[in-house]
Amino acid sequence: MVNSNTSALGIVFPNSYDALVPDLVNVRLMASIPFASRYRLIDFILSSMAHCDIDNIAVMVNNNYHSLMDHLGSGREWDLVRKNGGLHIFPPFVEKGVKPYVGRVGAVASILGFLRSQKEKYVVMTDTNIVVNFDFNAMIEAHIESGADVTMAYNEQELPESMMKSEDNGLAYYYTLSIDNGRVSQIYVNSKKTGIQNFSMNMFVLERELLIELINTASVRGQVYFERDVLMPQLNKLNIQAYKYDGYVARICDMKSYFEENMKLLDDHNLDALFSAGQIYTKIRDDNPTRYIEGAKVQNVMVADGCVIEGEVEDSILFRGVRVAKGAKVKNCILMQDAVIEAGADIEYLVMDKGVKVTAGKSMKGTDTFPVYIGKNQTV
Amino acid sequence: MAKEMIAMLLAGGQGSRLYALTEKLAKPAVPFGGKYRIIDFPLSNCVNSGIDTVGILTQYQPLVLNEYIGNGQPWDLDRLYGGVHVLPPYQKASGSDWYKGTANAIYQNISFIERYDPEYVIILSGDQICKQDYSDFLKFHKEKNAEFSVAVMEVPWEEASRFGLMVADEDDKITEFQEKPKNPKSNLASMGIYIFNWDILRKYLEEDEADTNSENDFGNNIIPNLLKDNRRMYAYHFDGYWKDVGTISSLWEANMEILDPEHSGINLFDEDWKIYSRNSGMTGHKISAGAVIENSMITDGCRIKGTVKHSILFAGVKVEEGAVVEDAVVMGGTVIKAGAVVKHCIVAENVSIGENAVVGAMPTEEENGVATIGEGVTIGDNAKVGPKAMVRNNVEGGGEEW
Repeated sequence: MVNSNTSALGIVFPNSYDALVPDLVNVRLMASIPFASRYRLIDFILSSMAHCDIDNIAVMVNNNYHSLMDHLGSGREWDLVRKNGGLHIFPPFVEKGVKPYVGRVGAVASILGFLRSQKEKYVVMTDTNIVVNFDFNAMIEAHIESGADVTMAYNEQELPESMMKSEDNGLAYYYTLSIDNGRVSQIYVNSKKTGIQNFSMNMFVLERELLIELINTASVRGQVYFERDVLMPQLNKLNIQAYKYDGYVARICDMKSYFEENMKLLDDHNLDALFSAGQIYTKIRDDNPTRYIEGAKVQNVMVADGCVIEGEVEDSILFRGVRVAKGAKVKNCILMQDAVIEAGADIEYLVMDKGVKVTAGKSMKGTDTFPVYIGKNQTV
Repeated sequence: MAKEMIAMLLAGGQGSRLYALTEKLAKPAVPFGGKYRIIDFPLSNCVNSGIDTVGILTQYQPLVLNEYIGNGQPWDLDRLYGGVHVLPPYQKASGSDWYKGTANAIYQNISFIERYDPEYVIILSGDQICKQDYSDFLKFHKEKNAEFSVAVMEVPWEEASRFGLMVADEDDKITEFQEKPKNPKSNLASMGIYIFNWDILRKYLEEDEADTNSENDFGNNIIPNLLKDNRRMYAYHFDGYWKDVGTISSLWEANMEILDPEHSGINLFDEDWKIYSRNSGMTGHKISAGAVIENSMITDGCRIKGTVKHSILFAGVKVEEGAVVEDAVVMGGTVIKAGAVVKHCIVAENVSIGENAVVGAMPTEEENGVATIGEGVTIGDNAKVGPKAMVRNNVEGGGEEW
């Protein structure tokens, strides 16, 4: 195989941080949350991998994954239909008396046989609650150059308020790093520090053989979390390098950040920063172009195909197939696929899940600090 | 395993009446309706009608078309047995030939058709915009126990002499064929869509090939020969939307008609009859504060900061501040810079229109035309392109082209 020294296989954890957005994952999981008018969160990771010729990818679904299976299909849209490699979706192996795994260790332990039989030298692991157009090859190169055992990506940003406020720390662990000359000297769990932090992106590069060894040992010991139980106790033993990422990062940490990260893309500067590095692929719906009928008034919106707009829309993100009837007013809203806003309805600061309908003349408003969420297929 | 009916799609025409638009690509590959190409319509019709084997006969400038069709996956025509196949002329043991005419193109691919052992063959044309259920057509063909059927449209009598006309009796049996006659006896225009029993088609193709005087054309040779032999020929009435988009003005018109589906009858918002196409993969389109959008169709990747009225914008078109686009068809990747005015025209793919340039004009009594700008052309700042212009080369800043 050409280029085999740098070849990597991907392991994706689509359920990570589900607990942060309970509303949005009610009928799905983190990876299949709609984002940026026509994508799902996992599209960014899979497309990034596709651009880096990572075409052997394991997706470790744990629960609520029907929507993701539907979205991924055979993986064709991401060019992942391959005789060697391609897309592997691994559901948890459950039998009587055995519960599905919790945490990365259990997930990877469940595919050790698969990992042993693969050919790639490296493994790239990542979550999906992070929206990036990421150059994995650059990270792998940095990993090789530094001679690290494990390389983990981070960016510099303040910790999201929602994470710090979370009272139930067991719900979702997040990690910050102390870095000494490129090497991770300390990993902190659920830090409450304010100000700019080295915030782990939960993306890792390491050799496949090492991963197998680490997970095998951890699994035997009944350990759960890769960062907390495997990396943290071995900071001295393993050379863990930090890889700083300066590109555009959108993290989905709660409903508010979901709303804001969508809205940020209305700024061309952000949109270009996220998308210019390479096309993001997604499942095709074959909608026709969006039609603006006489009477439509639109200002500062991002709109996917298949919409029919007759009313007023301002500062909003519209997914595929949304209808806004005459005289309806939509402001500061995220309307997911096939939402219908009937004549004269007036809505503001709403996050509407797929197929929601607001009937004629109804008015409904959230606020900028508290966007109101309406569940899938509800009628207002 | 035999297929009941397979389709042969004639896509070799140069489309010379589309001038600058078909200089580098075949007519069926011409973009249409915001995110489609003309060929998406017959291909989608096939798959929606249950036809899973399509041969596309190409000859003129096939590169764009070949790449676009690829393995046929966007139309669900990537099949283990059948699917879509691009069929250019090829070399044989006894020499090779370009396709001499529509009938000869099919003749040279008899062995392709034989592989599927079909009972019927439908001949389609790659230059029409039409949503048609070919299975209804086949049902008619079978009910009439026909050997040949042609889809016909009723056209206004005063326009009838522009078309190939089928004269039929009250049972729809064809008694006469008139090619663009001065004195039409019928107003049933042939749509150029035929169903043949394969054994009949094969026989007439072989006889036609043996006739050295023949132009090897369906309209001029095959159909008259069938008539001469009193074959069972029927006219199938189609009353949906149908438009030959072989000219600049008809292509422009058909695009505009998409903006008015309530009256024109071409509705692309049809869940039961989707038109498939190869996807641009761009982000949703963006309309900035200060932009004005009226009665238009806009698709992925567009960035609109100016004014767009009654226009069709393809993927990735940029309209900068203060620019005005009206009654225009603007194809993918084109950039219309600040202050430019673009009206009543067709702008092909990846064109750059400079600041404050003027392209086309709304029709007046004296002047009425659809300005056309070919692919990849750069129109300089402050340049002017007249309403009848056909621009193939760059126009310098401040320059004019009429």
